[in-house]
Amino acid sequence: MPPSTTGDAPDLAAPHAAEQAPLEAVIKGEVLRMYQEVADNPRQEFHFFHGREAAEMFGYERAWLDRAPDGAVASFAGVGNPHLRSRLQPGETVLDLGSGAGLDSIIAGWQVGPQGKVLGVDLNPQMCAKAEAHAAAAGGTMQCRQGTMEEIPVPDASVDVVISNGVINLSFRKRKVIGEVYRVLRPGGRVSIADIVSAKQLTQSIVNDPKLWAS
Amino acid sequence: MFGLLEGVGFKRVKSAVVPGFRFRKQSTQNSAEAYGVKAVLFTAEKPA
Repeated sequence: MPPSTTGDAPDLAAPHAAEQAPLEAVIKGEVLRMYQEVADNPRQEFHFFHGREAAEMFGYERAWLDRAPDGAVASFAGVGNPHLRSRLQPGETVLDLGSGAGLDSIIAGWQVGPQGKVLGVDLNPQMCAKAEAHAAAAGGTMQCRQGTMEEIPVPDASVDVVISNGVINLSFRKRKVIGEVYRVLRPGGRVSIADIVSAKQLTQSIVNDPKLWAS
Repeated sequence: MFGLLEGVGFKRVKSAVVPGFRFRKQSTQNSAEAYGVKAVLFTAEKPA
């Protein structure tokens, strides 16, 4: 969970460059493991709230949660509600960065309608398959691409809105991620991003702990 | 995050704390509070 600071400090307490590459690989592995665990065992208790309990806490409409496939709701692991400020319009193209089991993509799909388009990007190809299946079960369509948020597999200026929920804080390279978000947006495009931030610089021991980072 | 969004060129960057966000485990919540950890909703626009 090492988040960005709320201030304008450079990219968090990143380790020295020589240490960064192997640690980043370990952390990505831990991120994959943690969120696969949420998807595979949604009834398990984690130290963060998840599933319907979390979604209701963040103000997701109950009608949405009743209508969405159970698997998408149960595996929800967001930290807020990007739909509150996304102002999605019919026909728009939306990118859900870190789409997970697909709940936010499904809700976005309902808002942009059949003339719109929802793209998901997730590190985990199994989660991509799951999200697409959930979207289909919800009567919509979503195309999920396996990839990283540091190199978003989407063309320049091709997206109207980027939504994301509790994902960017997991990256070692937040500045790179935000640059990629900017790249894929069309001029006039917008973002609605829920994420974790910290008012204080985290200690190096926290930054270097893959389990804390992934959670 | 706010600074990163502005730094890359986004305009009309706004942030609002997510009300009600907390960790399930009290020990984690205590640590989070010590570091000022919170959930925030950011919005911003790419200039037309």
